[in-house]
Amino acid sequence: MTFFEDQLEQGVFQICYCKNCNNTIWPSKEICHICHGKINWKESMNVGKIVEFSKKESMYFGLIEIDDGIMVLGDISCSSEPKIGQSVKMNVSFHNKPHYSFIVENN
Amino acid sequence: MNKVAVVGTGQTKFSKEDGDIEKLLFESADTCIQSTKNCDPNDIDGVLVSTNDNSKYMGAILSEMMGIQPRVSHSIEHLCSSGTNAIISAYSYISSGLSDVVLVSGAESATNPGRVLEWDKSRGNFEHPIYWASMFTKSHKRKFHTTEEELAMVSAKNHKHAMDNPLAYSNKPRTISEVMNSKHITEDLRILDCSRSCSGSSSIILASEEKAKKIAEQPIWITGIGQKTTSASFTKNILGEIKSTRIAADSAYKMASIEAKQIDVAEVHDAFSVCELMAISELGITSDEKSGEFVRNLFNTENRMINPRGGLIGAGHPLGATGISQTIEISNQLQGKSEKRQIQNTRTGLIHNMSAAGTSSSVMVLKN
Repeated sequence: MTFFEDQLEQGVFQICYCKNCNNTIWPSKEICHICHGKINWKESMNVGKIVEFSKKESMYFGLIEIDDGIMVLGDISCSSEPKIGQSVKMNVSFHNKPHYSFIVENN
Repeated sequence: MNKVAVVGTGQTKFSKEDGDIEKLLFESADTCIQSTKNCDPNDIDGVLVSTNDNSKYMGAILSEMMGIQPRVSHSIEHLCSSGTNAIISAYSYISSGLSDVVLVSGAESATNPGRVLEWDKSRGNFEHPIYWASMFTKSHKRKFHTTEEELAMVSAKNHKHAMDNPLAYSNKPRTISEVMNSKHITEDLRILDCSRSCSGSSSIILASEEKAKKIAEQPIWITGIGQKTTSASFTKNILGEIKSTRIAADSAYKMASIEAKQIDVAEVHDAFSVCELMAISELGITSDEKSGEFVRNLFNTENRMINPRGGLIGAGHPLGATGISQTIEISNQLQGKSEKRQIQNTRTGLIHNMSAAGTSSSVMVLKN
């Protein structure tokens, strides 16, 4: 397991960034793809915005923008249809693969 | 640089059932060599195999199976666009003078490991292509007012074309209402909007100008090539765009000294209905806003200009073979050998093949 996956398993989304140029590196890598500098980690703010969404059976899922423009696909919990640009809170876990879950705020 | 031509082709039927990669490769390669009238297998000095299968050393294995001892032999994998990547590699060997005659064979089994890109952690547990396709579709509807009926027309048109393709996995006609009423995979994607992973194989022989004039009666020339990889992660895409296709097409048109309006026939990568609409606009054949209307017009006038063999949706999608089958269709069209599918007076054809939510694209221009 990678550090990123291990942290997801503990419920933490770690953001990889370059110590040298401060660029955010997503998906996380061992070195910076811009300056090849060494990387460091910081915890996500765990909030995002809905960029696009669809629905499979009764579950909404979509493309969410979180910290520093990072985009992920995850499930969306909400009591009514989501809206583009809506704010969401993020929970993460890892079961053989990453799981990114979002809850619409002030729903 | 040496000119490069398509001089021989061979294909198997596509099928939903699992297949044996070696048998499939042998069948299409053998048909291909037989089709190349004056080609002695000893003339083949390159053998490239395109597949996502886990089998090893397939370039050498196919060479031994065919009784060829080439200078160059290896495999090429690039997910759904492995086939055109293999053809472009063969082109490079010939144009540089490292090879004169190259056999390119692609094959896949229906359950192959290329269907899901596990590396892309940004997809979370939504790894399957149906999820990015749902995002593309919803976004296209939102940005360009594309209707459910226009999306269904892509599938209905391509299934209709596939009825005249005896090698397609399915020859069933699908009406627009059948597509619209087919099972919802997600709210924005129906099962008949999706191409199906298939077993199948296709082979092509490319040759230098000097060799092509000796062994082929109707060589078809590769005059333009463009390739672009923008990323591997789906989430690096801007929804509503396939930037890699736009850049690859621009390079291919420049190399061929043509404009998009000169394209008479095109095979485009309709992995899902929305991909055909996005591809024809990124290729400059129409605009984003008019792509739905463009396909509606093709459907209503029975114009086969886009995906005459049925595309991936109608013919099936054996990943490693798809780009080669697309190239064979355009070659046949330019030779006037497409039988019931033939489009009249074709001079210039285009192939568009892409991978992993359009993060990488290949575009080729062929002329007769």
